[in-house]
Amino acid sequence: MQPASIAAEIALDAVEKSFGNTPVIPPLSATLGAGEFTVVLGPSGCGKSTLLNMIAGLEPVSAGRIRIDGQEVQDWEPKDRGCAMVFQNYALYPHMTVAENIGYALKVAGIARAERQQRVEGAARVVQLGDLLDRRPGQLSGGQRQRVAIARAIVREPRVLLFDEPLSNLDAKLRHGMRMELSHLHRRIGATSVFVTHDQVEAMTLADKVLILNEGRIEQFGTPHEIYHFPASLFVAGFIGAPAMNLIEVEGDGTALRLPDGTALAGSAHRGRAVLGIRPEKLRIAEDGLPATIVYREDLGSHAVLVVRLGSGQEINVSTPLGGDTVAADQLSLHLPEAHVHLFDPASGQRLNVTQGQVR
Amino acid sequence: MADTNSQFNSRWLPIALALPQLLLIFLFFYVPIYMAFFWSLSLERPFGGGAEFVGLQNYARVLNDAEFWKATWRTVVFMLIGSSLAVILPLILAVAADRRVRLAYPARNVLVWPKAVAGASIGVVFLFIFNPFIGILAPLNEVYPGLWQPGLDGTDAFIMLIIAHVWGGIPFNFVILLAGLQAVPQSFHHSAAMDGASAWRRVRDIQIPMVLPQLFLVFVLEFTESVTAAFGLIDAMTQGGPGGATTLLVYKIYVDGFKGYDLSGAATQSVILMVFVLSLAAVQFFILERKIRYER
Repeated sequence: MQPASIAAEIALDAVEKSFGNTPVIPPLSATLGAGEFTVVLGPSGCGKSTLLNMIAGLEPVSAGRIRIDGQEVQDWEPKDRGCAMVFQNYALYPHMTVAENIGYALKVAGIARAERQQRVEGAARVVQLGDLLDRRPGQLSGGQRQRVAIARAIVREPRVLLFDEPLSNLDAKLRHGMRMELSHLHRRIGATSVFVTHDQVEAMTLADKVLILNEGRIEQFGTPHEIYHFPASLFVAGFIGAPAMNLIEVEGDGTALRLPDGTALAGSAHRGRAVLGIRPEKLRIAEDGLPATIVYREDLGSHAVLVVRLGSGQEINVSTPLGGDTVAADQLSLHLPEAHVHLFDPASGQRLNVTQGQVR
Repeated sequence: MADTNSQFNSRWLPIALALPQLLLIFLFFYVPIYMAFFWSLSLERPFGGGAEFVGLQNYARVLNDAEFWKATWRTVVFMLIGSSLAVILPLILAVAADRRVRLAYPARNVLVWPKAVAGASIGVVFLFIFNPFIGILAPLNEVYPGLWQPGLDGTDAFIMLIIAHVWGGIPFNFVILLAGLQAVPQSFHHSAAMDGASAWRRVRDIQIPMVLPQLFLVFVLEFTESVTAAFGLIDAMTQGGPGGATTLLVYKIYVDGFKGYDLSGAATQSVILMVFVLSLAAVQFFILERKIRYER
C-alpha cells in the first residue's frame, strides 16, 4: 500500500450513455486528478451511478472515451482497469468468510495462498477487522460489513477506488465515524477515489473536488468551498446547504434589486429580471432594513432557524445565533450583505454576478 | 388457531375450508398407506375373502427374493443417473438463460412446455423417437446393424428410459433454478467482475453456491420422485422389459400385485419402497440442509 505511486488520473472525454433511445448522460467531459478524492453528487436518477459503472467497466459507454492513467479503457474488461469498487449494499459473498471475501480477487488472480493470507491480513488491519476474519458476512453488523467491503477493495492495491453510496445503509452515528475513517484511509492509500452520493454532507466533508450532476449534465465541478460559496447555477445553489439557500425573484433597475412591490433588497448594477440567492446564515438582523414577520421558529440549540415572511408574501429562512431580540419578537428587519448576494438568470439558471459573492 | 381467529370470525370456517383437501389426502393417501401396512402383515387372497395374519412372513419372503434386489438395484441406478442428469441439465440451461444468451427468452418459454405432458404421453412420444426402425437413431442401425435395439437390449432400453425421464424433469427444475439464479442480486455479479472473475468463474464461485437452496430442493424432489414417477414411462415404453431390464421396484410392485395377484407381496414391497423414499428425504434434509443455510 504505497501512497501516491499507484494513483491514476481519470479523464472522461465526451462520455455518453443512453439506454435504448433514452439519453441518461449527454456528452460529459471531466478530468479527475490523480490521487484526488472526487465526490459525484446529485439527486436520484441524475446518472451518477451510471457514470461510476462506466468508469468501472460494468456499463458500456454509448460513445466517448475514458482514459485511466492515459490509457483508453472504455473497451476493457472491468478486471483490467485497475479499479476496485465498494457497493451500496456491500455485495459481500454470503457463502464465504470475511477472509475469503477479501481475498477472492487475489485468489482469482492466482496469487499463492501464503501471500494471499498476508495481504488479506494487511488489508484487514487497515480497516481494523483483524479478529473477524473467520466470520461470515451474515454475522457482522452494518459497520463491520462496510469495513469488509473496503478491505476487499483495497487489498488489490487499485489505481482507482470507486464508491457507490457506501454509507447510505448506515445509521447517522456510524456514518459520521465511517466518513472520518474514509477520509483518513484516502490519505493513507492515496488512490484516486470517486465517491457517488446524494448526501451533500458526505460530499462537503470528504471531497477534494465535488462534481455536481443533474440529469446527466455537470452543473459544477469544483472544491467544496467553491461549490458552497460560489454556486454556478440555481440548481447548485438550491441543492447545497441546509437549510437551503433563499431564492427570491427580483427586478434590477441598475441601482438596486427590487421585489415586485418595489422594495429594495440590495444594491446592484444589474438590469432586468433575476433570481437573488442568499444563504440563511448570511442574512443579518439589522436595526433598519427589509421588514419581515416571523412565521415559525426552530430552536436547534446551537442556532435557530426562523421562517420569515417578506412584504411581498414570500417566505424565506433566516439562520441566526440564538438569543437577542429575535426570541420574543414577531417583527424584525433584515439586511442582505452585498458580498453574499448571488444572482442567477431565471431562464437558464446560470450565475450572473461573477465577481460578487466569491468569498475566499 | 388462536392467532388466526383475527382473520376468521368463526373457529369452524377455516376448518371447513380446508376440509375437502384434508378429506382427499385422507382418502387417497393415508387410507391406502394404512391398507398397505395391513396387507403386508397378512396373507391376502387374490380374489378377496378372508385374510390371514402372518406377521413378518411377507417381509422374509420378499427380502429373500433375488428379483426384488435386482429391481431395487435398478431403481437406485435409475435414481442416481436419472436424477443427476435431470438436475444438471436444467442447471446448465438455467445458467444460460440467466446470462441472456441468444434466444434465451423463447427458450425459457419453450422449455416449460413439457411440464404439461403426462409421463405416459412422454413415453409414447419417445418410443417413436427411439424406434430402431423409424426413429432418429435408425440410421445408426443401417451402418452398424443391431447397435440400437431398445426392444432387445436391456441397456438400450434403460438409456431410453433415462432420456425420457430427464426430458420430462427439465421444465420444473429449470424454472426453480432459473428463479434462484435471477434472485442473485446484480451487485454480486458486478462485484465478482470487479474482482476479476470471468463469466465461468462467476458461475462456479458465486452463482451456484447462491442457488444451493434451490439445487437442494430440486435434488430432494427429483430423488424421491424418480423412484415412483418412472411408472408411467415404463408402462408406456418397455413394460419392464426386455428381460426385466427396466423393471424398477415401482413397476415390479404393479406387476406382482395386478398381474401376479400377489397382493401381500406387492403391499410389502410398497411399504419397503415408501420407507426407502421417506428415509432418503429425511437424510437429505437432516444432513444437507444444515450446511447450506446462509443469509443473502
